[in-house]
Amino acid sequence: MSLTHNDRVEHDRQIVITGMGIISPFGRTAAQFWNKLNEPSEAVEGSGSGEAVCAPGVADFNGRIDDFDDLPATTRKKIRKSLKVMNRETQMGVAAGQQALLSSQLLEYYDAERVGVCFGAGNVSVMPEDFQSAVGACSDAQGEFEMDRWGTDGLSEMAPLWLLKCLPNMPTCHLAIINDLRGPNNTITQRDVSFALAIAEACRNIKSGDADAMLVGATGTTLNSINLMHARLENEVCDDSAFSDNKSLDATDHKPFPGEGAGAVILEDLHAAQDRGAHIYGEVLGSASASFIGHDGVSACGQALASAMRQSLRRACLFPSGVGHIHAHGLGSVTMSRAESQAIRDVFGPADVQRPVVATKSRLGNAGAGAGAMEMIASLLALQNGRLFPADPFGVLNSDGPICSGNDGEVTAGDSFLSLSMLGRGLGSCIAVGAFRD
Amino acid sequence: MKRRAVVTGIGCVTPIGTTPDDFASGLYAGRIGVGRLTVFDASHYPVQIAAEVHDWDLSAVGENPAQWRNCPRQTTFAIGAGLQAAQQAGLADARIESSRFGVYLGCGEPFEDFTAFTQAVHDTQSSERPFLEHALRIFDPDTEREYEPDMPAMHLARMLHAGGPVANCVSACVSSTQAIGEASRMIQFDEADVMLCGGAHSTINPFGVTGFQRLSALSTRNDDPQGAVRPFDADRDGFVIGEGAAVFIVEELEHARLRGAEILGEITGYGSAQDAYRITDTHPEGRGAATAMRRALQNADLVPEQISYINAHGTGTPLNDRVETLAIKQAFGPQAYRIPVSSTKSMLGHATTACGAIELAVCLLSLKSGVIPPTMNYESPDPECDLDYVPKQPREVSCRHLLSNNVAFGGQNAALVVSRYDESSSATVQVRWAA
Repeated sequence: MSLTHNDRVEHDRQIVITGMGIISPFGRTAAQFWNKLNEPSEAVEGSGSGEAVCAPGVADFNGRIDDFDDLPATTRKKIRKSLKVMNRETQMGVAAGQQALLSSQLLEYYDAERVGVCFGAGNVSVMPEDFQSAVGACSDAQGEFEMDRWGTDGLSEMAPLWLLKCLPNMPTCHLAIINDLRGPNNTITQRDVSFALAIAEACRNIKSGDADAMLVGATGTTLNSINLMHARLENEVCDDSAFSDNKSLDATDHKPFPGEGAGAVILEDLHAAQDRGAHIYGEVLGSASASFIGHDGVSACGQALASAMRQSLRRACLFPSGVGHIHAHGLGSVTMSRAESQAIRDVFGPADVQRPVVATKSRLGNAGAGAGAMEMIASLLALQNGRLFPADPFGVLNSDGPICSGNDGEVTAGDSFLSLSMLGRGLGSCIAVGAFRD
Repeated sequence: MKRRAVVTGIGCVTPIGTTPDDFASGLYAGRIGVGRLTVFDASHYPVQIAAEVHDWDLSAVGENPAQWRNCPRQTTFAIGAGLQAAQQAGLADARIESSRFGVYLGCGEPFEDFTAFTQAVHDTQSSERPFLEHALRIFDPDTEREYEPDMPAMHLARMLHAGGPVANCVSACVSSTQAIGEASRMIQFDEADVMLCGGAHSTINPFGVTGFQRLSALSTRNDDPQGAVRPFDADRDGFVIGEGAAVFIVEELEHARLRGAEILGEITGYGSAQDAYRITDTHPEGRGAATAMRRALQNADLVPEQISYINAHGTGTPLNDRVETLAIKQAFGPQAYRIPVSSTKSMLGHATTACGAIELAVCLLSLKSGVIPPTMNYESPDPECDLDYVPKQPREVSCRHLLSNNVAFGGQNAALVVSRYDESSSATVQVRWAA
């Protein structure tokens, strides 16, 4: 594999990860998350955080100020004041971002104007309950809804800030306001590949000199009724029968259950991180995304993913054989599994020469845009611990073998990993991360 | 060698013109696109005016409108503008490596079908489980899929065979500005050779009007639509919801030259910053906007004296225009009083996430014509807005480097500098990490 001039130039400024935060169904700290990942997988139970669906959410996160853990009093005050204008995705994103900032101790060292925020997020979440009283105000004596009265009687019943509450860019805005982060600030809304795009953009922000450090994350849920409706219409989560039949979701051909969660990391220039004595969790070696949509509208996200992996490996100066492990997107539907399996084979060769592959959606559920961040953090923790978390066989589709053959938790994580994301409409993305060795 | 990002194609669909030439004519004629709201029945709403795109559909770019009937208005605008830009850039005849051709748009959030949504809320009392079951029955999968903000980017990637990175960002009113800035960076960082970038949006729907009306952001001059948007005027009372799209082909300079493409301008500067103040209000001194403009100037390696025009965000709200004036003074110092500043929202209304792209199109057209557009409806000076706002009449200006500024709810700010392409120009983009 040959390297171009610009591939090498990109390495002139190394970007490292110096903080992380997570709000997940497996815990609200990185330690809890790792411990739970290492427990034997369980049959899906309807522990439920929402009434729309019986599925595991972040059960102990209720959007109360105490859910944001130990924070300075001034920060707590700002968050408490803003909670009423944050929807659940924003609350989880802010909580994960605060953890990442705290773990990195970044703000003790940097000028706030030089720290930016870039998040991946899902679609706008218009919540039915926000419209309940306004719709009620438009009902006639028989209780029938009269649309003609919306402009006069309904509109004025809406909370003044309801629009801001549901916009996808609110996590980045709140995090900036709460922490006085005045650098570049953007939100990528490309569903499941949003986090990978956010990582790439944040690296550019640092390399171009616009920021010294970036808080990068993603948040999402498929548990509320509107997002769940979209996820089901897009065939991205299982339906209720998976729960009522008590099917195991770990084996061959099942879409994940709905889920939710958020993750965030701190990116900064290697030398700056070293100068301040920061703990370095890993290095972003390269990232890429690609699309492949046939002119007839038929998407080929597997080809897009293979292209993204190849570009990412080239930018990372990695050979496939040098990759420690692969964290698959692992959605679990027949179409997506087949596409991902083929893409991995295309880049890494047949199953017997592939690197270890893990996937976590079968256990964490599908958190939409938030999944990419949680998955990268899972693999970062594996690098830290020197071994992979146990994984069930996943995606066995044909005689070519599984995407993930499963492991018992004793497999080495290696010194690097690829974190993959896909979008069925024809997108693939890949982030290459390496352990940092001084 | 530094990679430079140049513009080789422009497309736009706006309330005052649905091609770049038509748009330029409208701008210089002071055509105001605000009228009675017709997209839905707003006769009972407190706000009944909007800047709508009229008498246009996708047949104008050779598409069958019936095939796009499931799409929201913003998608059709994006497709129209994108195909125009691709045609001007001559992409159909160019050999472009698919994996080096990406898309980055700043398209906003299309909302659900309001009638179906509110009826479902009513019928289910917004209880989650019944609402979900009801929604799965009444919402059409194909239509719902189209109502996601990234769909315009996906459609354009498919139609133009773009196999590189595809992204959409939502950062309120700076979305498309950021999309163009970041797309240019992707070219400078050698992640792509060609990027289709820009934005499209329409909030002319009951959700949009409800949201902005409750934020007290809208003008209520229902009896005077043409005079409703009054940026920097002492009697301004808010913005008018607009819609539209502008899309560009931005290309690496050598790539464009090698294929003989006409170069319409160069993206020389980009800056982004956060106010970090309040979710609803801009910082009282406009610190984020000032920083974004300063960063764009630094990025372009320019000083304030070199800027010959600023296209302001200029929404026409009392707060925005006062604070933006302060921000321009901070960023440009004494030069602020020399540089003409105008707000084309006086004609276009506020196309929210698309406004930055449309306003960059204004600047690119000014580079070509040497004429800057006026601020319409500017009649009564506000002592707190004391710059040269180019009132009512277009003006001939020697256009070399122009700046477009945008500000957003939530505190986000972004600015772009576009420069006339000059082969001998030293105003290349600074990429500090480059060899």
